[in-house]
Amino acid sequence: MKDNIRLVKALVKLRFERVMMFRLGFFGPFFVDGSLFVIQLLVFQAIYSKVDRIGNWGQGDMILFIGTFSLINALNMSIYFFGVNSIPEKIRTGEIDLYLTKPVSPLLRLTFEQVNPGALPLVIFSIAIILYGINAAGADVTISSVSGYAVSVGMMTVLFYELEVIIRSLAFFTVSSDGVLQIEMSGLDLCMQIPGTVFYGAYKFVFYYVLPYGIIATYPSLILLGRFSWKMAAHEGIVLACFTMVTVVMWKTGLRRYDSVSS
Amino acid sequence: MKKYLEVAKVYLKVKLMWRADLIFGFISIVMKIIFASLLWGVIFRDKETVAGFMQNSMMAYYLLSAFFTQIDISEKISGDITLGIRNGTFTKYMAVPMDTDKYFLAMEAGSILPHIVLDVAAIFLIGLVFGIKIDITSDVAIILCALLIAFLGLLFMAQLSYFLGILTFRFEEISTFLMIKQNIMALITGSIIPLALLPEMVVKCMQILPFYYTAYLPSMLLIGRNGEEAVGGMFVMLGWNLGIWLLSRNVYSRYRVKYDGAGI
Repeated sequence: MKDNIRLVKALVKLRFERVMMFRLGFFGPFFVDGSLFVIQLLVFQAIYSKVDRIGNWGQGDMILFIGTFSLINALNMSIYFFGVNSIPEKIRTGEIDLYLTKPVSPLLRLTFEQVNPGALPLVIFSIAIILYGINAAGADVTISSVSGYAVSVGMMTVLFYELEVIIRSLAFFTVSSDGVLQIEMSGLDLCMQIPGTVFYGAYKFVFYYVLPYGIIATYPSLILLGRFSWKMAAHEGIVLACFTMVTVVMWKTGLRRYDSVSS
Repeated sequence: MKKYLEVAKVYLKVKLMWRADLIFGFISIVMKIIFASLLWGVIFRDKETVAGFMQNSMMAYYLLSAFFTQIDISEKISGDITLGIRNGTFTKYMAVPMDTDKYFLAMEAGSILPHIVLDVAAIFLIGLVFGIKIDITSDVAIILCALLIAFLGLLFMAQLSYFLGILTFRFEEISTFLMIKQNIMALITGSIIPLALLPEMVVKCMQILPFYYTAYLPSMLLIGRNGEEAVGGMFVMLGWNLGIWLLSRNVYSRYRVKYDGAGI
């Protein structure tokens, strides 16, 4: 454990040194994702100028939802996205060999080797959206609801990570994972625009159990809005546990199957 | 003209070989329609009309605008040019006895054809599955205007992508800017929500910009709305196309000398 923490610290330090060399691209993730969520706020501002509620979501509730998705996405971009995203390419080119020969966990190194401090302002920006959303929704915020929210955001950030690893680990088993990545992107686009409670039927099954993007920002938001139930808490915990197992099995099976450049 | 036709043919063949791109386009339209049906399905449960749209006309709008958005694949032009300049492989476009802007337009024309055919089939199929009745206007003149504006929109977007691509000569790294542009475009072309939902003042400002005419106006014209804007729209798009063409030529002749063929 101590060695792993030292490794993560060293990877973060190296990464900082590298990104500082390319100052123009340093804040790239912040501007790209920041503009995405600002546009989403504008879209819902326009919709709410014509309607009072979307289902049982008022404008403040929706702002809180967007802010929460933005926060989880910001954590994703800052910590692990760029590292995890490089997995298919590294499998295809055989670069994973370099990770397997080092005396550290390959997944741990891949996860933290490309942290991106340029996305950190997005965390602050997201917190500002969340505070605005709480105010607009008139949510009754207590210490317990904020603690619950923080725990839920943490759990959903881990779930987001696991989904990314699972999808990219498919490259161990297929010639190209482009199609699955495209489906991931489309699913994410959809779920970052609509709260999960709007889903029904097959959509609910897919986005709650198969690719659970539908709960990623919805459950934490519902905690602050005071509409979170024990059933949802159980669902959140079970989904996270199941996907943790799938991630471990998938990654280990993939590594066993991996036979260098020809994978 | 014949050499550009050959370029278009080559890229048409390439596109037909990489059929996965066409399938991803289909998936993208389906996801947009799922988004629209979930969002507006909930909204129309409580209201009959929103900004003059009934549920079916709203869905028809999304279907048509998704089609117009999807067939615009000009983003690749910027990417290819940027990559070429950064890697030093842009030389191949300079070495061939063709104008680079026309080469990329021919490339776009060839690549776009299979998308148009497949996406037309896709919107009918998706319309059928989701029960969306696409009530196209019976006014032939309006239909022709809509198609012409859509064509001018595609031409403009291709020229804009070329222009942004050649800015790499000057700014070296533009990929972040291109990604931000894509995000903004999703809103201002009306592909996330119909622009009619925005405040009137904002819509009036957008009418001056070319993006209003790339997907939003053709879709609205086809569903029988905004007919009074059809003729004006054509002239606005002609003006923008001419403007961006002159600007691109100017920028290219000014900055191409900065390229040394060695990459950045």
